[in-house]
Amino acid sequence: MTAIPASRARALPAIPRRMILPAILLATLIVTPFAAPLFTDANPIQISVRERLAAPSWSHWLGQDEFGRDRLARVLYGGQVSLTVAFLSTTFACIVGTLFGLTGAYFRGPFQFVTTRLSDVVLCFPPILLALLVVTLFGPGTTTLVAVLSILYFPAFARISFSEALRVSSLDFVEASRALGTPSSRIVFGTILPNIAGPVSVQYSLTAAAAITIESGLSFLGLGVVPPAPSWGQMIRGARQFMNQDPLGIIIPCVALTLTIYAINFFCDRLRDTLDPKGNGGGKDTTSQPSSDGRAVAAADDVVAEVRGLRLDIPRPGRPVTVIEDVSLTLRANQCTALVGESGSGKSLSSLALMGLLPSAISQTAGTLTLRRKSGEMVDLGRMTARQLEGVRGNDVAMIFQEPMTSLNPVHKVGSQMVEAILAHRPMSAVDAKARAIRLLTLVGINEPERRFNGYPHEMSGGMRQRVMIAMALTCEPRLLIADEPTTALDVTIQAEIIELLQKLRTDYADGLSLLFISHNLGVVAEIADRVAVMYSGQVVEEGPAKQILTDPHHPYTRALLESMPSSHEEMHSARGDRLQAVDGTPPLPDRRPSGCTFRDRCPIALETCALERPPLFKGDDREVRCFRAPEAGRNAA
Amino acid sequence: MLFVVGTIIFSLLAIVPGDPAELLLSTGGGSATAEAIANLRATMGLDQPVGVQYVSFLWNSLRFDFGTSIIDGSSIAQNIALRLPRTLEIIAAGTVLSLLTAIPAGTAAGLRAGGRFDIAASAVNALLTSVPGFVVGTLFIYLFAQVLGWLPAGGYVAFAQDPVQHLRVLVLPAVTVGLHLATIVFRMTRASVLEMRGHDWVRTATAKGLPRRLVVRRHVLKNALGPVITVVGMQLGILLGSTVLVEFVYNWPGLSGMLVTAVEQRDYPTVRSIILIVAAIFITINLVIDVLYSVLDPRIRLQ
Repeated sequence: MTAIPASRARALPAIPRRMILPAILLATLIVTPFAAPLFTDANPIQISVRERLAAPSWSHWLGQDEFGRDRLARVLYGGQVSLTVAFLSTTFACIVGTLFGLTGAYFRGPFQFVTTRLSDVVLCFPPILLALLVVTLFGPGTTTLVAVLSILYFPAFARISFSEALRVSSLDFVEASRALGTPSSRIVFGTILPNIAGPVSVQYSLTAAAAITIESGLSFLGLGVVPPAPSWGQMIRGARQFMNQDPLGIIIPCVALTLTIYAINFFCDRLRDTLDPKGNGGGKDTTSQPSSDGRAVAAADDVVAEVRGLRLDIPRPGRPVTVIEDVSLTLRANQCTALVGESGSGKSLSSLALMGLLPSAISQTAGTLTLRRKSGEMVDLGRMTARQLEGVRGNDVAMIFQEPMTSLNPVHKVGSQMVEAILAHRPMSAVDAKARAIRLLTLVGINEPERRFNGYPHEMSGGMRQRVMIAMALTCEPRLLIADEPTTALDVTIQAEIIELLQKLRTDYADGLSLLFISHNLGVVAEIADRVAVMYSGQVVEEGPAKQILTDPHHPYTRALLESMPSSHEEMHSARGDRLQAVDGTPPLPDRRPSGCTFRDRCPIALETCALERPPLFKGDDREVRCFRAPEAGRNAA
Repeated sequence: MLFVVGTIIFSLLAIVPGDPAELLLSTGGGSATAEAIANLRATMGLDQPVGVQYVSFLWNSLRFDFGTSIIDGSSIAQNIALRLPRTLEIIAAGTVLSLLTAIPAGTAAGLRAGGRFDIAASAVNALLTSVPGFVVGTLFIYLFAQVLGWLPAGGYVAFAQDPVQHLRVLVLPAVTVGLHLATIVFRMTRASVLEMRGHDWVRTATAKGLPRRLVVRRHVLKNALGPVITVVGMQLGILLGSTVLVEFVYNWPGLSGMLVTAVEQRDYPTVRSIILIVAAIFITINLVIDVLYSVLDPRIRLQ
């Protein structure tokens, strides 16, 4: 025996594991009816009146029907008929429909008109009605059935191949081959067709299942396959009268029919999953760790929130991936703390943890998150139930998100989204809540607040939506406001306005608003922050008063960040987006962090110690830094 | 659109080989006299030119005058008026049942996708999707009417005549129709909820401190219902046709039963009228869906 040529072997794609089971099931169900002579030598249409409705026996495994015909033979041969009709008509429909769709999409103009209109008209009729209409005209029979089902299903193929081909033909490589003067037929069949094969094959299996359903339905009505030729629908029809004496008569064809359709559907589902794996994604969902009640914790009077030794993991089989490690932060009343770092450094996750809004894929494995409620008591978020957390969110701590375009629900009025936030925490009438919402809209500088109150988010610009988000965050006068890159998605002039608004709110806000400002924009940070915490790779690497950190950084990473910023003009910096090109390399992925100091690979002054040992946070006067080379390190050692 | 459908139906029946009058008179066996055929053609209006037939068909359809059945001479419009509500009743009852069960189930499954409930419900759903309506009907009759004897196997009793019996007869057909629709609604709701719950505004709503119940209802479900409604609308149209089988199984004298009889008897005017009516309802439903959709999603209103 010669080996299979390598090229040939490679041409056959490996069958994905998830496809094996459905493929075997489907193949078995398709092959079995056609292998009927192997199982029985009985004739499916041979009548034996003496043995009507006989129970299963050695010669007739599944018994005999109302005319004494062998039931096993009838189920198997009936399957042949059903499957042949279904696959023939689906294949016709597929070929005709795909051709229609392709020509419509490729040549456009009148072809497109004919394709779409024709499909529209056929889709106007409920399928079975159309089938009935055609059967009226041409009389029942297998040929009619195939014709009917083909007519019925070709529009679906035309539609799918039309829209898919439209998508594909606008892709660059198709445009390119058209520009090179490749003949249309070569482009359509050689380039476009293989690219739309996925969706069309899914439609093929869907249609095959539907065709079997309709074929058996019509046969059941007596308008499909003509007796005495066996068919599943017809067997059910015949056995109906005798279901009392002979329940097996209806159950067997029902099971055969259902099993076949199920196998096709199953195959189709898996095929769709394999071709388009994004369907079953995780998606964000909030979690909560239910526990006993939120217990009061002692803390200094001006502390609004405190994060101690926070560690967040993504649980994985084997070794969990740590995304946040030993993060500690203290947020004080009337203070603005900026959390700074590159994308992926863990700034947003730390702040979401403070809201109890961590994605369900991430779990907190160490540390405490405490928050001062308006009553003055400090509570531990980790010990609160889901319901207690609802009382804290929006009330004691509120959050503004990065993306104002998607942070408001498009189907609700702006006003009602604000009012529901108020009513969630304050018992007041809807009228009062509305008055309050309008006052807040005025406060954040929205013109015509009454009109905007009754407007929808899509009628507003990004800057205006961010103002609404801010107003919404302020509805219940929280003590802590978390702003997660609130200006990143806005253009530069609007950015400045929003920062100004936040500044104004901080000075005007009577109760003393503490702000946790998350940004990678050091210019903005210099303008607004009292304290700065720099994060790198899931850790706080430097923390202290904003002035000191920004003028005299002790950590090499902070220094690199500052050097990457154009000297004095922060406006210029903010226009550059979030890339800090002056820092060599990129931060390591959470599961590829090096041993020792996580920054050492990019650090210009790294020592041997940095690879062996992870630097602790060295304390200085009112500031901390996580670096062996920092002045604080020497002082601690001494 | 309706005009196009009407034209197609008319021309299909006009070009079909064979003279309906001759066919009709010869079904009893033996050939009819030429005179009898001519008479019948005259009463059916078949002796007039095709153009005249076409215009009068369109004009009469507009006035809901569908002529008389060529089998027994009864008024088609009256028959439809009598039977259409019965068909709509099964569909309405089935739809309500399916929405009441499938939307909550689909939401629960979508919110905890991959959870125990989701896996169980999706598996059951996949199985139920694969059972054709007439199979469900046949098995239901066997189980509930024959074996358990809880419900009548079929037939029809007018509500005015005996309300209780009317409802008892309605149960099985309605559940059969509802079961099929429910599988589709479940799938759609689950997928839609799964998609919507990941949106930023859901996080915003949670961040506002809204109770989870409200977050789900106002910020996940309301957004998720748009696609579900579209699918239900399309299915309602299809149901108008597929109740044929359910009505046949349960011997329910609705519109589709009338259609099947008309098809068997080659009663062209009746077939034509029923299909026209059904297509009209089908198109109306699609219009209503469009309106509903814009109520649910204000962004559509602008366009």
